[in-house]
Amino acid sequence: MFNIFYKEYLKTRWYSILMLIAFLCFTTYALMRINYILTMKGADHLWNFLIMKDVVLVEILEFVPLVGGIILALVQFMPEMYHKSLKLTLHLPFSPWKMINVMLIYGALVMLIVCAINLIVMLLYLHRILPIELYSRIVLTTIPWHLAGLAGYFLTSWICIEPAWRRRIANIIIASLFMFIYFLSTSAEAYNSFLPLLTIATLLTSTFSWLSVARFKEGKE
Amino acid sequence: MENIIECRNLTHYYGKRKIYENLSFSVPKGRILGLLGKNGTGKTTTINILSGYLKPRSGECLIFGENTMTAPPAMRKKIGLLIEGHVQYQFMNIEQIERFYSKFYPNQWHRDAYYELMAKLQVAPRQVISRMSCGQRSQVALGLILAQNPELLILDDFSIGLDPGYRRLFVEYLRDYARTFNKTVFLTSHIIQDMERLIDDCIIMDYGGILTQKPIAQLMQTFHRFTFQLPENFKLNIDDKQLLHPAVIGKKGELYSFLTQNNVEQLLKKYNVPFSNLVTENMNLEDVFIGLTGKY
Repeated sequence: MFNIFYKEYLKTRWYSILMLIAFLCFTTYALMRINYILTMKGADHLWNFLIMKDVVLVEILEFVPLVGGIILALVQFMPEMYHKSLKLTLHLPFSPWKMINVMLIYGALVMLIVCAINLIVMLLYLHRILPIELYSRIVLTTIPWHLAGLAGYFLTSWICIEPAWRRRIANIIIASLFMFIYFLSTSAEAYNSFLPLLTIATLLTSTFSWLSVARFKEGKE
Repeated sequence: MENIIECRNLTHYYGKRKIYENLSFSVPKGRILGLLGKNGTGKTTTINILSGYLKPRSGECLIFGENTMTAPPAMRKKIGLLIEGHVQYQFMNIEQIERFYSKFYPNQWHRDAYYELMAKLQVAPRQVISRMSCGQRSQVALGLILAQNPELLILDDFSIGLDPGYRRLFVEYLRDYARTFNKTVFLTSHIIQDMERLIDDCIIMDYGGILTQKPIAQLMQTFHRFTFQLPENFKLNIDDKQLLHPAVIGKKGELYSFLTQNNVEQLLKKYNVPFSNLVTENMNLEDVFIGLTGKY
């Protein structure tokens, strides 16, 4: 398993660092905005803004995990589809299903680590200036966006591995429609009660790639 | 002799286009078999079925007695696969790719075989495969297969994109390796001169099926070109399955056949062909191939 991780690491190491830097840049920008309001207008204004205006002031992060997840899947799976070199991977003496799972687990771990670092940075700053009710509100609002990043990663992997272009376009349409679920509401904490179900749905999208692998192995074109 | 590959009644279509129907063949242990055919006759289709990446419409392919579509990891461990174009992981360098593959083949990995071949390449250890020439990539792919030490090698169009030097290197390494260690090889190539130096048996395919499957020595001993003189402007219209691709160039007639000279002579007389100076010519494999499949 670690050997497969090694291959995935070689493909994605530079992008993973770049993704982490990009995430941190966006997070820093969002936190600087909060810091600006705090410095210029005071804590009471900031609290009032967060509670009364139904905003979390980190909206700039909304699509960042999604874009990051999509690009991660492209970086990881496009080289596998170059001249169908996925054949090499699936020819290795290892179960093809385990193989694709391990590859997806690697990508999911990269996403989780980058998102976790992002959230930790956010929490480290926010807990110093806001009460738990307010900073947990901000963090909970960003959870669906991070789940969207993970789903974007899984669905793009599914699209990349699909061997037939016509089906690939159908998959893109299905994936795009599915992704709307994560961005139905911009209100703070709108997804709180829906988060467990959304997490399960996100994890289930990882299984879509099995279908593409089965079709690839049957030589569908 | 034990058969390593056994394909029975393979039929495949791409949409409505028939590639072949009821194709059956087998490859015994320790033989090097070349699959020859013009473009579009189904060589890569056969390789894809053999390597488990294409489900035939009907029929089955067994390797080591197991169906290729459900090949378990233990079976794949015994098969070295070269994909058309010497495809390998473009983002790895020669050290990384060796490290990666070696872990999948414990107890059978021949690291020295790989690095012996790599020593012949003018590449820096950290040069990634995407920056290598096609010839260098072919050696990396071959080195990995030799290091894997498989019982069966399946090579799809191994000569594509290679200059004569790399082709020769590839053929010599592969031939020595297969002969020394009694390996079974199934391969395709567009360059038939290379096959002549390498293979024991050949299958020649035409659109829709197999034309012939024979040991190459037997094929070259029994299949001949016959040339003869004809009167000027004579039209050679013979429709006989035993006399292949009859043609006239100027006053010279030619045809190909598995028959002896006497038999050809009798048939030409039977068809009232006013020939003279009938000559039997031995051919190289490329001419045999053209004689069987035709120039067009």
